[in-house]
Amino acid sequence: MKLTQIKKKLWRWETSLVVLLLLEIVVFGALNPRFLKPRVLLGSINDFMSICVIALFVTSVLITGGMDIQAGSIVGLTSISIGLLWQDFGMNIWAAALLSLLIGALCGALSGFFVAYADVQPMVVTLGGSFLYSGLAIGVTNLSATESYKGISGFPSYFTGFSKFRLGGIPSQVLIFVALVVLSYLLLHKTKYGRSVFLCGVNRNAAEYSGINTRLVIMSTYVLSGISASLAGIILTSYLGTAKADFGKELTLPIITAVVLGGTSNLGGRGGVIGTALAALVIGIMRFGLSMAGLNTQYLDIPVGLLLIVAVAFRGLTGRSKWLGSLSQKLKERRKNKEKVSA
Amino acid sequence: MKRVLASVLAMTLLLSLLAGCGGSSAPASSAPAQQPSESKAAEPAAPAAEPAEKSDITVVFVPKLTGNAFFESANDGAQAYAAKQGFTVKYDGSPEASVANQVTVINNAIQQGMDAVCVSSVDATGLDDAMKQAKAAGLQVVTWDSDVSGDARTVMVSQGTPEILGEMLVEMGVKSLTSRGKDPAKDAVNYVWHYSQATVADQNSWQVAGEEYIRSKYPNWVNVAPNNYYSEQDAEKAISVGESILTAHSDIDLVICNDSTALPGQCQAAQNLGLTKDDVTITGFASPNSIKDYCRAGVIERWGLWDCQIQGALGCYLAYYLASGNEIKVGDSIDVPEIGTVTVMPNTVLDPGAYVADDSGVVLLPERAEFTLENMDNYNF
Repeated sequence: MKLTQIKKKLWRWETSLVVLLLLEIVVFGALNPRFLKPRVLLGSINDFMSICVIALFVTSVLITGGMDIQAGSIVGLTSISIGLLWQDFGMNIWAAALLSLLIGALCGALSGFFVAYADVQPMVVTLGGSFLYSGLAIGVTNLSATESYKGISGFPSYFTGFSKFRLGGIPSQVLIFVALVVLSYLLLHKTKYGRSVFLCGVNRNAAEYSGINTRLVIMSTYVLSGISASLAGIILTSYLGTAKADFGKELTLPIITAVVLGGTSNLGGRGGVIGTALAALVIGIMRFGLSMAGLNTQYLDIPVGLLLIVAVAFRGLTGRSKWLGSLSQKLKERRKNKEKVSA
Repeated sequence: MKRVLASVLAMTLLLSLLAGCGGSSAPASSAPAQQPSESKAAEPAAPAAEPAEKSDITVVFVPKLTGNAFFESANDGAQAYAAKQGFTVKYDGSPEASVANQVTVINNAIQQGMDAVCVSSVDATGLDDAMKQAKAAGLQVVTWDSDVSGDARTVMVSQGTPEILGEMLVEMGVKSLTSRGKDPAKDAVNYVWHYSQATVADQNSWQVAGEEYIRSKYPNWVNVAPNNYYSEQDAEKAISVGESILTAHSDIDLVICNDSTALPGQCQAAQNLGLTKDDVTITGFASPNSIKDYCRAGVIERWGLWDCQIQGALGCYLAYYLASGNEIKVGDSIDVPEIGTVTVMPNTVLDPGAYVADDSGVVLLPERAEFTLENMDNYNF
């Protein structure tokens, strides 16, 4: 009964995100017709792909009631690791990319371990993780023959090309994104594992009593988000053609924004990847559309901030008025009961 | 009932937000349209090319980050100059300095069909692909202040070679040390470098050149923190890093801040700890306006910079010059109205290992400036 209610509510929220997305396309298309060219519109996703990819998997962290603010720093660590393994250790570029995925998984596992097994506040652990991994990234840079300010570049064109080619006019990054949405949707909403992730967020004790290894499940969400951050790092390195330690440092808040705007509760137990994917697009397209309409990049945070506050307030208000309604009803019942007793 | 009311209220808010966004962008997009009529009046002053094209040319001027005094005043200079010469400069940057943000700005410039970009790059190679794409899409690509790879742009407007600027930083320190009774040629001077970060191309090249200059000319000096101090262009961090320098090394003689955020932070740190220019010498690069108060308070004696307003103007002019159909080749001399004649030099003047080609060169700013209590009020940026 309650689950269907939650599902209903989520559905409605995702619908409003779709409406918002369409509205954006219409408004910005009217302001600058160039915006509507499929090549331009689809191509714009290249510039906010990292946020989309990572947010998909940070969603499940938030659903367990956790928080992940370290993903951005794993992007930089991945990027510089690829460059270092390829240039200074002479490794094949794809092998380097695979190994860096493992590094991302390890980073996620380390923080996930402290959250799940040592019961440390996830915010604190991942804050520490963000400093640790971005510091490691700079430390690792010093192992390289290249001075750190230069970044490592000169990658083979088949590596820098995979993030740029178009299949029938559709950029490869869009295809990767769609594939990841499907994958994460199936994982979180169609498998037993996905249900246990939700259950951990709704009530961890209940989940534990029903035979779920909640610690492992919680830790696994951090591992997945670490891997997704590494994946974003690989794509970013390929797209920009350079490996640098400070990539991704500005992504932390946009990622959380996309997840929260997508309807995932930061208290756990509620959310979904479709909402996150839509929200990431809503934010990215809004930034792109506004700058196409001539707004200066430095002011783009203002509309995004407003959107987040208003959207969350909207959800909060509709939720709370219901809660208020039930509260007043309860009070009435209690008064009636009291009256009965006194009578 | 309450719930319906709340939903209606929130929906109204959301709609007004969208309307607001549409509204806020409308004047911005109409601004370039107004510009040509203003600039037409100034047209007689503009040289070369067909007059019909001029007013249509828009140069996107990209700073490392917005909200920093250096970049804002470079923009002021570029805007004023462009208005006189009859072209449009669109200032577009992100408040956070990052490669990905700058790539987004350049991509947007391509999609909007702009004529040229003039970029101060946060990374030595990270913008190469985006710049090459811009070139392929028909935009003219110029850099200023901080460069990308030589084959990714046509011309770079540089504030000076690393040798010129490294020596200038050290010599400003020498002058201040001498005037407080030290003998830089004989005394063991303890010094440190304090700047933005280890990943910024230009500042590191000055530091390296400055270190070499110190080793050859002042071998008696001691760098007490060879790993340098970094404050990441963060104003608050610059103060706390500045304070930790002064408390960790009580015998420090000289702090060289080759970053426009590090220098004011370092001065504030000295002031917080009650130190003056007689206790410790601070020097570096920053805009005059950001240091004037510290100079009046006696915290710092001498600092320098190049005129970034001229640098911004020159960068945008060269972008405009290219966009109006002119070519630039190494060895050319270009007459720039009001600024003077500049010569295009090969890329190797900045970095001996740089890319060499006929259509890729460097233009040096004609001059640099040193500021003291006496002359600082002549500058307003």
